[in-house]
Amino acid sequence: MKRARKETDKDRKPRRGILGIGEKLAELFELPPDMFGNRPKVTAVGRGEVLIENFKGIMDFQEGMVRINTSTGVIRITGSGITIKEITNESVIIGGKISNIDYDA
Amino acid sequence: MAALMFLVHLWNYIRGYVIIIAKGGVERFINICTRRQILLWDITRQDSDSVVMKASLRGFMLMRPAARKSGCRIRIMKKCGLPFLLNRFRRRQGFKAGLIFFAVLIVLFTSMIWEIEIEGCSGDVARQIMKVLEDRNIGRGSFKMGLDPRSIASDIQMNVDEVAWAGVHIQGVKMTISVRNITPRPEVVDESQYCNLVAERDGLITKVEVLAGTLKVREGDTVTKGQLLVSGTLESQKPEFGAKNVHALGRITARTWYETKVLLSYEYTKRIRTGRTHENTYIRILNMKIGLFGNREAFEMYDSVSYDKMVKGPFNTEIPIGLTVEKLYEVEEKKVRLSAEEAEAFALEKARLALSRELSPDCKVLDERVNILKSETGDAWLQLIVECEEDIAGREPLGGD
Repeated sequence: MKRARKETDKDRKPRRGILGIGEKLAELFELPPDMFGNRPKVTAVGRGEVLIENFKGIMDFQEGMVRINTSTGVIRITGSGITIKEITNESVIIGGKISNIDYDA
Repeated sequence: MAALMFLVHLWNYIRGYVIIIAKGGVERFINICTRRQILLWDITRQDSDSVVMKASLRGFMLMRPAARKSGCRIRIMKKCGLPFLLNRFRRRQGFKAGLIFFAVLIVLFTSMIWEIEIEGCSGDVARQIMKVLEDRNIGRGSFKMGLDPRSIASDIQMNVDEVAWAGVHIQGVKMTISVRNITPRPEVVDESQYCNLVAERDGLITKVEVLAGTLKVREGDTVTKGQLLVSGTLESQKPEFGAKNVHALGRITARTWYETKVLLSYEYTKRIRTGRTHENTYIRILNMKIGLFGNREAFEMYDSVSYDKMVKGPFNTEIPIGLTVEKLYEVEEKKVRLSAEEAEAFALEKARLALSRELSPDCKVLDERVNILKSETGDAWLQLIVECEEDIAGREPLGGD
């Protein structure tokens, strides 16, 4: 599992800090962080598949690049032969040879 | 995960799906689709403004309004899956009829008994069980529908004496009958029943063993049938005490003789195979036999030998279909003159066979004598005398109390 959080200074919209109430509760009771709140969960298996849960929608889908809107910002995945393997209400699976997973891109 | 994906793909194939191409405003279209619970998969960019994706049939139906809302034009590229494949056969009545026929055949054949297995008993008991089944018209090819395993089992228990318990179990097309045999009850000597021992046949006594009762004969005595051997009445030494009755027990071994006479015959009809043969072939399905062409009764007199060719199915199962080949050998009857020795040997064989039926199973053959007797009319007889040793004591109830 690859998890990266990049803090940039250019916050476009005001947010409630990094942790919401749900997340704070989860931390307090030492529960798994993905149990509360709707923060995106990004799971990358090998190089060929990235699973993003709790996403909001597809913002852009180009050849070799897909941008996915989530509650903590936009996640951009680039690579060659990028496809959306499956898309449902809760999760999206991106396939192809992935080279970058960028936040706030 | 891989297995799950395979199942998903299989399910999609069975339900049917379409490959569609969408043009213009694709991202918005995909988002609307996901919000409306339309499953999309394998979405790839074709060129700068068109995207290829797969959607279920149900999803495709719901897609129209989403496309209109997003201003996206969609077009079907290919229809895949089972429903479209079956659609092609819609007009072909023969194909449909064949499909139905096949389904009916499968249902029919799986609702039959194809094999009956009887376990836990000897061949003789198994034959009796088969007879019970036959009486109820149960065999290979009977339908499972009307069969009640409990009532069959109770029928077997009621009608076959040797069976103590029977269980009938139908699994698939196989009927298994498990049987437990009764252990034979030992013969109980009722000692309260007073009896004498009497001779069951004429003989010369060689050995006496008395366990209870008064011995009335001695070794070397000749007895006739019905003679008292051991009395069940014990006389006391002082007559004023009276007598006491017991259940006489003992073994009186005696030498006995059996004889039989067989007419000597110097003529013998012999069946000789001429060497000409004919083969009849039958196809056997369950217990039915269907003759093939060219089957006939080829000869006036013949011996026939038939054997079954079994067909082995997959996984070493027995299939109730096979061939029965019946081979006919033409025979001729010839009268043959026998020499004196041959005729005697022949008659001796016959006499032995006849005597062996008469002898009790626990008697010991000591000696055999053969005499040739001539009658006035010219017929010759062979006399066989067998000397045996056996227990001749038989129980005879005492009268009175």
